[in-house]
Amino acid sequence: MLDLTRTTLAVAFTLAGGAYAVAQDLPRLTVYTYDSFASEWGPGPALKAGFEAQCTCTIDFLGTDDAIAVLRRVQLEGAATEADVVVGLDTAIAGEARATGLFAEHGLDLSGLVLPSEWTDAQFVPFDYGYFAYVYNTEALPEPPTSFEELIALPDDFKIVVQDPRSSTPGLGHLLWIEAAYGERAPEIWAGLAPHILTMTRGWSEAYNLFLSGEADMVLSYTTSPAYHAVAEDDDRFAYAEFSEGHLPQVEVAGILASSDQQDLARDFLAYLTSPEGQAEIPTTNWMYPVVDLGDALPEAFTAQAQPETILALDEDAVTANSRLWIEQALAAIR
Amino acid sequence: MPPSAERLSRPYRPFRLAAGAGLSLAILGLVILVLSSILRAAGAEGESAALRVDIPHLLRMSAIQAGLSTALSLFVGLLIAWALNRLRFFGRDLVIALFATAIVTPGVVVAFGLLTIWGRNGWINRTLEALLDTGIGNPIFGLGGILLAHVTLNGAFAARILLARLDAIPAARLKTGQSLGLGAFERFRIIDWPMLRGTLPGLGAIIFLLCFTSFPIVLLLGGGPANQTLEVAIYSAVRLDFDLRGAVVLALVQIIVCSGIILATTALSPVPASTGPSRAQTWADGTMARLLQWLVLGLGLGAFALPLIVVIVDGLGPGLGRVIASSSFWSAAIASVAIGLASATLTLALALALGLGRAAATDRWLKLVLGLPAFAYLAVPAIVLALGFFLFVRDMGVSPTRAAPIVLVLANALLALPFAIATLGPPLEALASSRGRLIRALDIGGFRQFQLLEWPLLARDMGVVFALAFCFSLGDLGVISLFGTDSFSTLPLLMVRALGAYRTNDAAVIAALILLLTLFAFLALPRLFAWIANARSR
Repeated sequence: MLDLTRTTLAVAFTLAGGAYAVAQDLPRLTVYTYDSFASEWGPGPALKAGFEAQCTCTIDFLGTDDAIAVLRRVQLEGAATEADVVVGLDTAIAGEARATGLFAEHGLDLSGLVLPSEWTDAQFVPFDYGYFAYVYNTEALPEPPTSFEELIALPDDFKIVVQDPRSSTPGLGHLLWIEAAYGERAPEIWAGLAPHILTMTRGWSEAYNLFLSGEADMVLSYTTSPAYHAVAEDDDRFAYAEFSEGHLPQVEVAGILASSDQQDLARDFLAYLTSPEGQAEIPTTNWMYPVVDLGDALPEAFTAQAQPETILALDEDAVTANSRLWIEQALAAIR
Repeated sequence: MPPSAERLSRPYRPFRLAAGAGLSLAILGLVILVLSSILRAAGAEGESAALRVDIPHLLRMSAIQAGLSTALSLFVGLLIAWALNRLRFFGRDLVIALFATAIVTPGVVVAFGLLTIWGRNGWINRTLEALLDTGIGNPIFGLGGILLAHVTLNGAFAARILLARLDAIPAARLKTGQSLGLGAFERFRIIDWPMLRGTLPGLGAIIFLLCFTSFPIVLLLGGGPANQTLEVAIYSAVRLDFDLRGAVVLALVQIIVCSGIILATTALSPVPASTGPSRAQTWADGTMARLLQWLVLGLGLGAFALPLIVVIVDGLGPGLGRVIASSSFWSAAIASVAIGLASATLTLALALALGLGRAAATDRWLKLVLGLPAFAYLAVPAIVLALGFFLFVRDMGVSPTRAAPIVLVLANALLALPFAIATLGPPLEALASSRGRLIRALDIGGFRQFQLLEWPLLARDMGVVFALAFCFSLGDLGVISLFGTDSFSTLPLLMVRALGAYRTNDAAVIAALILLLTLFAFLALPRLFAWIANARSR
């Protein structure tokens, strides 16, 4: 029995080890990112192929389950980390990431990028963005609410499904959106939303799935979600509900670790990531808006519904200092 | 039986005792190692945001939810096991296998299966709306939904374990009962109950702990932050607050509470009845009892099997060809099966070492101590275990990515261990207490004892344990989320990735295939083990 265990373990070891037997001679760039970025459906494989074709290097994407996990991992590893680049932090945790002092300056000129607001960050390079919004089915819901207040005023059986801000990136984004729109009045808005909240899921995918199976009228997601259904499923029934309070953008960023011994290669990768070739891969794999003008290369679905008119913003330091407090207030308000 | 007589009736087995005790210490050491790795990585300064949570409130909420879930699951499991033990029909084995699959399927998959039936847009509502122009609304969110999901997951599992006990009632005893003309109720009280009551406390403890620490289901069906568990607070302490010290403190609270529950139930656990080779049941109850049994079975099938069948039916739709054609599916499937086989082997070895050691022990306290480590995985929060493993592997100088499969095998084996012990523990104990004198009289060694007695009599149960552990490993997302993966993937991981990339259909296909594989394992593996045992004894 023990022999069998040992043999099986040895087989597992070999299986796992075999995957890492790769060419040693080329310079190697290790990118930590969230799982769906690295997965076969995400931008990872195409970016790897595109960048390796021009860099004479090997690039490894290592997926951890979400953006916060990526940050926590580099924090735990500190200067000993294998990572050269981190891809996929968002504006909600950028402040905290910056405060760790683990990130180097990117030194790239980003003035040509198209973003919700001008980009002047010395450490983080934006590579896509979207806005937090409620997504709905236009057939089932011909007249969606046009503001939080309108949503609150609807009958209690109008249900939305959202994510827990403590465990989910969009869940935290949702909270920050309400904070940006209402500030001190945010707890009041949460209390108003309470009867409409069907449930608060652990992650985005459970919530989105609940919505797709018809359990809720709207789901907290991104303004770009309808584009997925239009492009990949040829289904244009989905839209986002534009709110008159405005929408908070989620900008996804990448950064170079100061501990990396591949600073130049890392910078080249970030330049590629924000180049038109790299950006062309983003919309239909990560389902977000590109940060350059792709012209006709951007599927029409992304422009079929215009981006929100009013754009909100939150100060990075305020987010870092207060998000825990805001979470407690919001949870208390809906309890 | 007075203790001295008890001691005399069991053969002295120092190796079994030493192996069991050594293993217990090793698992305890592992838990300490995990927690201390985290503490070492935690900063020393600063106030702990995580500790601001209202711990007594969380404990109270979790205890109420878990207590109700456990009581309901055991009751329902008992009823179904009773019905299944008495009834013979075509496809019975398939039904039994189906019941066993619930607990090893990813909880979220089962929850979505339930929603397809009970949800606002589910079958019941749509049927009622079509026929009567009214519906049942949204009954599945809130405490009711959590209980429904937990009873679905655990009640069916309880039925599977209890059925194994009932099926092991020696034919001679049944014959005696039948000749005495026992009624259905008397038969249950006199013949069945003594078999079952040794299993109930351990089973109850497992179910309680599972529900106490359940997290994705509580969030998915909880209907908001009113229904929370301590595990959520720990998760957010690690992820959001990055307050590792606070996380360890909360984890310790959870471990202490869980250990208390385990100790209480194991200490209360009565001596199980003896076991024998299972024979085909030929004694049918009276008409009324049989009607009730069919009713229980019908309701059980409707409530438990339907959500799983829905998952399979939904999954075997349009996306099937695309998923099966992709190479990533096959590499994930192969990795899952390899890891499943490795961790099932490890589970069986661990469970036998602990179970045989425990059965050989005559001292009450030693028994208690040997029973504790089986529950380690249920008491230690998954995220804390993951983080601790991650830090430990790094401290050892091994690349976490490379260690991921090994850690996964170990974690999955620990996950399945309590279930393995619940399945094997009572019959091993029963053998030790009923055949001890015989073994002493024969004066045979421990290995011969295993070869002649334990293996032939329990081969089928070991097959169940192997299948259970294999399937747990197939369905578990495991602890590798922090480890990071590039080319390496398992089926549940692939499913989650598909969900995260809007690929709902692909995810449904993968979920269905996981379920089918699980079902196959539950049908085939116990038979395989029983067949090997029979072939050898012939």
